[in-house]
Amino acid sequence: MPPREGIYGLLAEFNTPSELVHATEMAHREGYRRMECYTPYPVEEAAEALRFHKTRVPLMCLLGGLAGLTTGFLLETWINVWGYPLNLRAMPLFSWPAFVIPEYEMTILFAGLSTAFGMIAQNGLPQLYHPLFNAPNFASGATSDKFFLCLESHDPRFDRAQTRQFLEQFSPVSVVEVDH
Amino acid sequence: MEMAHEHHGGNLQRPEVARYQGVNTLPAVLTAPDAVGVWRVRAAIVAVVFALISLVFLFVPLGREHLLRAYLMGYMTCFNFCGGALAFLMVQYVSGGKWGDILRRPLEAMTRTIWALVVMLLPILFLMKHLYQWAAFPNKAATLQAFKQGLMTQEQQLTANSKHTMLNPTAAVVQAAIVLGFMALVITLLNRWSVQRDQDSDAGTLASYDRWRIRFENLSGPSILVYVVMMTAFVIVFVKSLDVTWYSSVYGLQFLVAQGYAVLALGMLTLILLSRYEPIKTMFRVTELHDLGKLTFAFVMLNIYLTFAEFLIIWSGNVPDEIPWYLHRIHGGWWMICTLDVVCHWLIPFCILLSRDFKRSKHKMIWLCVFMLFARLVDMFWLIEPNFKDAASNLHIRGNVGILAYVTVPVAVVAVWMVIYLTELMKRPLINVNDPHTEELLEPEHAH
Repeated sequence: MPPREGIYGLLAEFNTPSELVHATEMAHREGYRRMECYTPYPVEEAAEALRFHKTRVPLMCLLGGLAGLTTGFLLETWINVWGYPLNLRAMPLFSWPAFVIPEYEMTILFAGLSTAFGMIAQNGLPQLYHPLFNAPNFASGATSDKFFLCLESHDPRFDRAQTRQFLEQFSPVSVVEVDH
Repeated sequence: MEMAHEHHGGNLQRPEVARYQGVNTLPAVLTAPDAVGVWRVRAAIVAVVFALISLVFLFVPLGREHLLRAYLMGYMTCFNFCGGALAFLMVQYVSGGKWGDILRRPLEAMTRTIWALVVMLLPILFLMKHLYQWAAFPNKAATLQAFKQGLMTQEQQLTANSKHTMLNPTAAVVQAAIVLGFMALVITLLNRWSVQRDQDSDAGTLASYDRWRIRFENLSGPSILVYVVMMTAFVIVFVKSLDVTWYSSVYGLQFLVAQGYAVLALGMLTLILLSRYEPIKTMFRVTELHDLGKLTFAFVMLNIYLTFAEFLIIWSGNVPDEIPWYLHRIHGGWWMICTLDVVCHWLIPFCILLSRDFKRSKHKMIWLCVFMLFARLVDMFWLIEPNFKDAASNLHIRGNVGILAYVTVPVAVVAVWMVIYLTELMKRPLINVNDPHTEELLEPEHAH
């Protein structure tokens, strides 16, 4: 758990994603690990610079899809062969081509739901409070046109003066201390 | 610079890395690397070797028939490359996008093979009565005679009569001339303008960008529609009509999607191999490879969607007019090819392309592209061969060694086409310089 006293971290504001990615890459090389990028739209290279670990969301999507496929297949097979066997156009009861569309729909449904809920669960949502909103420039810029790098104070390398000096060499728009 | 280091040395750590590195610069030489010439020689060797092996089939039972059918398969594969490239070229002119800019010169080179395709169609036109029932029996009297002699079923006789307006030797030649003529016209204009665009005296200005963009859009937009109608007619005449009794309303679209599938595989393969050398080494970023991979994934999905939807509708209808087409392609050993088609053409590329890391790996995508081109051949074999009486519901090799022509002839034909494609590829710089996207390709990957 992050300490509650003192500051949450130092927040550097940049005008372009390139500067943000560069600063993040350099911070990683300096040994900083407890850090996060905030951008108005996904910047994949920022995630790479953060060495953002692979998430388990794709796996959840795949497992959800497979579960949906199996469910659809078993449901259709049970209905047509055992549950409510009907003679349709003298076709065999186990007519697999007709099962494909429900199977497909179930695959999409299960994969979609497991991705959405899996993503929310792994995000740590719902989160009702985040210290970064204490920084006025963050609240106004992070969702429109600014790119932020926050080096968090619970990183072992974090030092209020040195870290500020480190961030300032990348000529950010500003470096502000964020309170808890 | 040394002076500056002395001044700042104490305060700043590593000033040389702290400075943000700007955009890449456009390589000085934009022409194709010498390696393309080497590939061309290899393609020529493959073409000669496989053509020589194919000659054997002149002397085996049913060999000549299969040579012609296999030639048709090879020809349609090349037609798909050229037509698909034209379609993509037009689509990227109307949609814009960096994927289209990087792919443009390979696509243009593919389209410029059109004159070779016109020449390569001649054997089919001259020998059409050995392939198509409607050409062997071109009028009502002839079909009646054929029915009496047992060469045609009554259904084939009656359907051939009713489809006579579209399916007869003269109409086939006229349709081929119109379709290939239209394609040649659009291809010539697009290729000529593309060179003129680079030589524009205002190159690099907004006015020049806009003028050319609008010009390309105005030609491409309507031509996409006309091309789709025309290629539908072309594939109906030269492939679907091998079985004169069958009806399908999605046949042209299926071929169009197959063209996209083949052209994306070949286009990515070309770019990845070229990216070992300048200028593509600098220009081809992982971002565009990823984009092309995603587009390929869409085509893989669209292809199975159309193919399976048609099968499902015909299977549900279970009408005697339509169902034999599938029965000929499922029974008598064809189940194996049918399954292979689904597995190679859809299942394997689909599962592989789900992975983001795979789509972003140049190394791995090479193999997938090659595999997808192989899958196209399997699919074309499954479409063409069961149309013939000796092969329908009866896939066999005993006493039918000629069927092996399907292995050698298409490889030879496609290799000949590759020689022409690579020759065309060498004729122009590999990058279109007077296009705003080119500058964007030089930006680092994260600058969206």
